[in-house]
Amino acid sequence: MSAGSGRLRLQPAKVRIALIGILVVLAWVAMGYRLVQIQVFAAPSLAEEGLSQRLVSRDLAPQRGKIFDRNGDLLAMTVEAQSLFAVPNQVEEPLWLAQQIGGLLEADSDLIFERLTSDRDFVYLKRQVDGVLAEEILGMGIRGVYAHPEPTRIYPAREVASHVIGFVNIDGVGQEGLELVYDQELTGIPGKAEFERGLDGTPILQGISDIVPAVPGVDLNTTIDIPLQYQAQQACMDAVKRTGADNCWVVVLEVETGEILAMTGSPPFDPVSRQTLDPQCDRLEDPSECRMFSNFIVRGMYEPGSTQKLITFAAALEESEVNIGTTISAVADVLELRDGACRSAEDDLYGCYRDFTEHETRDMTVAEIFTRSSNVGTIMIADRLGQNRLVEYIEKFGLGRKTGVDYTVESAGLLNFEAGCETCWASAAIGYSVAASPLQMAAAYAAIGNDGIWITPHIVASKTDVDGATEVAGIETRNVVSSGTALLMRALLASVVERGTGGNAAVAGYRVGGKTGTANKLGSDGRYTDDTRASFVGMAPISNPKIVVAVVVDSPHFDYRTGGAAAAPVFAAVMEQALHRLGVTPDGEQR
Amino acid sequence: MTVRPAPRTAENDGFRVLRGRRIRKPTIAPWMIMALIAVVAFLGLGFARTSLDGSAFDLAELDRAVAEQTALNRQLNLEIARLENPARISPLAEELGLVIPVRTNQILVDLDSAAPVVAERDGDGTNQ
Repeated sequence: MSAGSGRLRLQPAKVRIALIGILVVLAWVAMGYRLVQIQVFAAPSLAEEGLSQRLVSRDLAPQRGKIFDRNGDLLAMTVEAQSLFAVPNQVEEPLWLAQQIGGLLEADSDLIFERLTSDRDFVYLKRQVDGVLAEEILGMGIRGVYAHPEPTRIYPAREVASHVIGFVNIDGVGQEGLELVYDQELTGIPGKAEFERGLDGTPILQGISDIVPAVPGVDLNTTIDIPLQYQAQQACMDAVKRTGADNCWVVVLEVETGEILAMTGSPPFDPVSRQTLDPQCDRLEDPSECRMFSNFIVRGMYEPGSTQKLITFAAALEESEVNIGTTISAVADVLELRDGACRSAEDDLYGCYRDFTEHETRDMTVAEIFTRSSNVGTIMIADRLGQNRLVEYIEKFGLGRKTGVDYTVESAGLLNFEAGCETCWASAAIGYSVAASPLQMAAAYAAIGNDGIWITPHIVASKTDVDGATEVAGIETRNVVSSGTALLMRALLASVVERGTGGNAAVAGYRVGGKTGTANKLGSDGRYTDDTRASFVGMAPISNPKIVVAVVVDSPHFDYRTGGAAAAPVFAAVMEQALHRLGVTPDGEQR
Repeated sequence: MTVRPAPRTAENDGFRVLRGRRIRKPTIAPWMIMALIAVVAFLGLGFARTSLDGSAFDLAELDRAVAEQTALNRQLNLEIARLENPARISPLAEELGLVIPVRTNQILVDLDSAAPVVAERDGDGTNQ
């Protein structure tokens, strides 16, 4: 300040310093204001926004359980594959891409082209492709083609176990067989993971983390023996070739446990491609007519014919109406139970019964009637028993109701005893007017092998989850006849193979017992035709039965129309392998 | 120890004990130590936090490696099962001239008897 000026004059430097000071203060105030605004007032919403960017939620898919055979060999397993997809508006040359990808994926190029030229944002090129192939395609660097991992179900035994295991759909949901029956348990329980992640997806350890792990599906340990299953399938396919039959079905049961060792038939199908291996199906105009997935053993019904006589004779012996040595007088080869039934050229459906071979009327013992499979003699024995007791035993042996096997859509069979049907009991005594599944017949024979105790047939022996293996519950047992009656029936069954109609069922080194069955099939007009279902059900070794095998051959050529010609050889081939597999001690040659 | 002044004598008469200036040893202020500890703790915490974040990447890498090995293990199990499929082995065995055994020997050991009984059985495979 200069004296005498009278006015306050500031030096320029001080002014500048003051201004800078003011600016600095203002800047600090502004930053402080902003800081308070962000850290205090906007803090909750900003923190929430940040968290929403970091926090992700993922569904954790459980691993579908595996399926094993009785030896621990893998039958079904889920592995990770790659699903190839495209974003159509990014693809530059759809026609070229469709041809390239179609060739590599063995897929329909036209269909891929159609998808690539659609107005959709996302199209699948092919789902669940092998990882190596997917990498090869992605390695081509085609714009707009991507892949994401997806689990796929693999069946290493392919068609060998397809009739037992079934299959899943493209989304891994059980559609058939064990895959369907145990779908919920095999699937497991999905989990959920919520966690904070960095930009590259790496989880932040100190961040929020809430993980409910997925519970993997249980593993199924089945009773199936895959080598035996294969042998049974081969025997059936050979029989179809040899006899010109439409189909052949085999089921093998372990007598003491009710475990199903093999259950297969011809034609088999591939569970992955779901294509039948039956050449006949290719010739059909409508592929749906091909019953490639059906399991006749569990779902089918057929009139068992003479194999049913086991129940009739067991009932008569149990009720002491006859014994093995009882002589039945005047057994003819034709029996007319309804007047006029046998007069027409084509015998009436019910009321006229004939033996398979003509013979003179003569006295026959119970054993001879069974061994020679005389229909007339059997009906005469059933007459002593009466309809009510016959039906009671048929039901006791499990016909007309589901066995409870762990398989889908089981057939209960059919007992046709219409009111007013005076001859249905006679038909039922010889295996007509009754429809049963091959599994029901096998279980009935197993009851005789098991000293009269019937056991629920089953495929799954145990389940293994995170807590270990647990036995399958719900195996029912019930007494159907006494052990004495069962012993007598086994002697009768052995005589069928030794002296009767079942000679082709003999197995070297073992005594085998069984019964042939030849049932005419009903035509579309409701009358019986010459077409037959040939069957054989039996057990070995007869001294202490371990295994029951039931064979049904559908519509064999006329030369092989009987159970002894078409089914008994299949039985022998399968039984021999089964006895080998189980290491059963020989009980001597067939007498 | 208490120091008593020497008795006054002719020689030391006129001397007196002067109170000297107290010299204080240089000391670090406690607040500086506290500050130092705070800085070290802060740095340590930062380092630990960074290490932990770094280990998250290691963990993610390990998880990926475990998943890869698990997938590989499953693929190998699957391959074993495929190779064991009897439908694959049987035709190959036939090509090599192998057949299902038609003769089986079983040794039946009778525990009551000293000598084992050998039971032989023959079969043609199908008995058709």
